[in-house]
Amino acid sequence: MDRLFELQSEFWVAAVETLYMVALTLLIGGAAGLLLGIVLYMTRPGSLLSNAPVFTIVNVIINFFRPIPFIIFIAAVQPLSRLVIGTGIGNNALIFALSLAASFAIARIVEQNLLTVSPGVIEAARSMGAGPLRILRTVVLPEALGPLVLGYTFVLVALVDMTAVAGFIGGGGLGNFALVYGYRQFEPAVTWAAVLLIVVFVQIVQFVGNWLARKVLRR
Amino acid sequence: MALVALRNVTKTYPAPDRTGAPVVAIDQVDLEVEPGDVYGIIGYSGAGKSTLVRLVNALEPATSGSIEVDGREITTMSERELRGIRLGIGMIFQQFNLFNSKTVWQNIAYPLTVAGASRAEVAARVAELLDFVGLADKARNFPDQLSGGQKQRVGIARALATSPRLLLADEATSALDPETTQEVLELLKRVNREFGVTIIVITHEMDVIQSIATKVAVMDAGRVIEHGPVFDVFSNPQNPSSQRFVATVVKGIPSPAELAVLRERHDGRIVTISFRDGDASQAAVFLELARAGVEFELVYGGINDIQGRAFGHLTLALRGPDAAVDAVIATIAERVDVTEVG
Ligand SMILES: Nc1ncnc2c1ncn2[C@@H]1O[C@H](COP(=O)(O)OP(=O)(O)OP(=O)(O)O)[C@@H](O)[C@H]1O
Ligand SMILES: [Mg+2]
Repeated sequence: MDRLFELQSEFWVAAVETLYMVALTLLIGGAAGLLLGIVLYMTRPGSLLSNAPVFTIVNVIINFFRPIPFIIFIAAVQPLSRLVIGTGIGNNALIFALSLAASFAIARIVEQNLLTVSPGVIEAARSMGAGPLRILRTVVLPEALGPLVLGYTFVLVALVDMTAVAGFIGGGGLGNFALVYGYRQFEPAVTWAAVLLIVVFVQIVQFVGNWLARKVLRR
Repeated sequence: MALVALRNVTKTYPAPDRTGAPVVAIDQVDLEVEPGDVYGIIGYSGAGKSTLVRLVNALEPATSGSIEVDGREITTMSERELRGIRLGIGMIFQQFNLFNSKTVWQNIAYPLTVAGASRAEVAARVAELLDFVGLADKARNFPDQLSGGQKQRVGIARALATSPRLLLADEATSALDPETTQEVLELLKRVNREFGVTIIVITHEMDVIQSIATKVAVMDAGRVIEHGPVFDVFSNPQNPSSQRFVATVVKGIPSPAELAVLRERHDGRIVTISFRDGDASQAAVFLELARAGVEFELVYGGINDIQGRAFGHLTLALRGPDAAVDAVIATIAERVDVTEVG
């Protein structure tokens, strides 16, 4: 317990690092995932802009990367990370890997949620002379907003989890804090402090997500 | 000039599995819809009714044939041109297909926004339509807060927003109870009468046709097997499939089972005579029978009213010498349709 008190400032720095990584990943991976998900949805056979080559390529890429366990994924994309952001280690490299992994997962979630919009509603919009992009913007996305919010909430919770794993291979944040000061120094209280804060994060995220989704769905 | 003219139109869908034959949903159909018509299209499930209307606003491209809407050939148009055509055609659906994330007001405003109307125009038109369908107090409600009948009224308002000349109704009342069905049909009648909107009504229920259609086409396996003014088709259906549909609403034609009972109960020869207004009167027929000395008994029958014109079927048991009965049947057959049924 005393040890935890001494580590107070490290603890809060780690907490902020976790928040920073999660927020930036959500921003980058969330946007890229949304885009990929929309491309999948729009280009699938029989959809508004059906385009078999584009759909197949995106689909195969996502299917290839998605099943890779995250901890291996981080190592595997290190060269790419060096190429794109100039470094293969540290928090920014981690954010790069996280964003990439998250965008593939989010793409699927977005695609699946957009597919729940009833074809009849889309047909109605088409019958009024609306074009594909207008239908996407003014019908499909608003109609799927509730489930999309829940999908993103799910991803956000998973991201907190993934950042903690990243602590094991050199990233900062609460995962790393628990590992370095708790696990390796045999201080369960320190580990549990990190765990508790992560649980609190997750609870807040889930609560806000549920609340937002309810508000969108008016239920 | 016809508002909608289909000439030799065929629509095939690819086979559901690679080895099977393609599905012929519409098979060489010719159809003309005149301005002001309420044109009913009836047929069993899978007959191709939905496909047919979806060809008219080009939600599906035709495989072959020509489709003219308002004098313009649409089968050769680009997608962009077709969007313009669709703005001039309203459509309502069995499942209403309202935007659940938008209020009633926003639903009705949607097609106007697509058409590029100004804010003021949208507001004025939406208010007008809400009044017309009697939902002014529901403007801020969401679709899931409305009853089925109210949802369909929003659907109708939305379909009429851009003042189309043509309205397509695909099973618009099939999800509604009988009373609400009548309300919605009355509203469609007003749309036709007050705004002069031509309506194509798809249904598998003959009473929908009976209550609002002026013309009817009967579809079976992708073909139009019979079409014409509702009165003609109802009073004298030619095709067996049409006859079955007509029998679901027209009173007076005994079913085979009822005929069997009639035959058991009555001796003599049983004939059904069919009248249409304008034909010889019933009185004249009865007079002929009396004059021939043939005894007759009315055993089954009914008189129907389609759009103010009457027709009926009366089944009589005739008793008398064979020669006299034959002679009198021949005489009345000159005036009305006579079918010997037993
Ligand atoms: N998108 C499609 N792909 C393949 N086949 C289709 C498609 N749409 C319709 N069909 C087929 O075309 C035929 C006609 O279907 P359609 O929906 O027009 O019938 P319908 O008369 O409207 O029937 P219902 O009363 O059940 O609505 C059916 O055999 C159907 O299976
Ligand atoms: Mg149908």
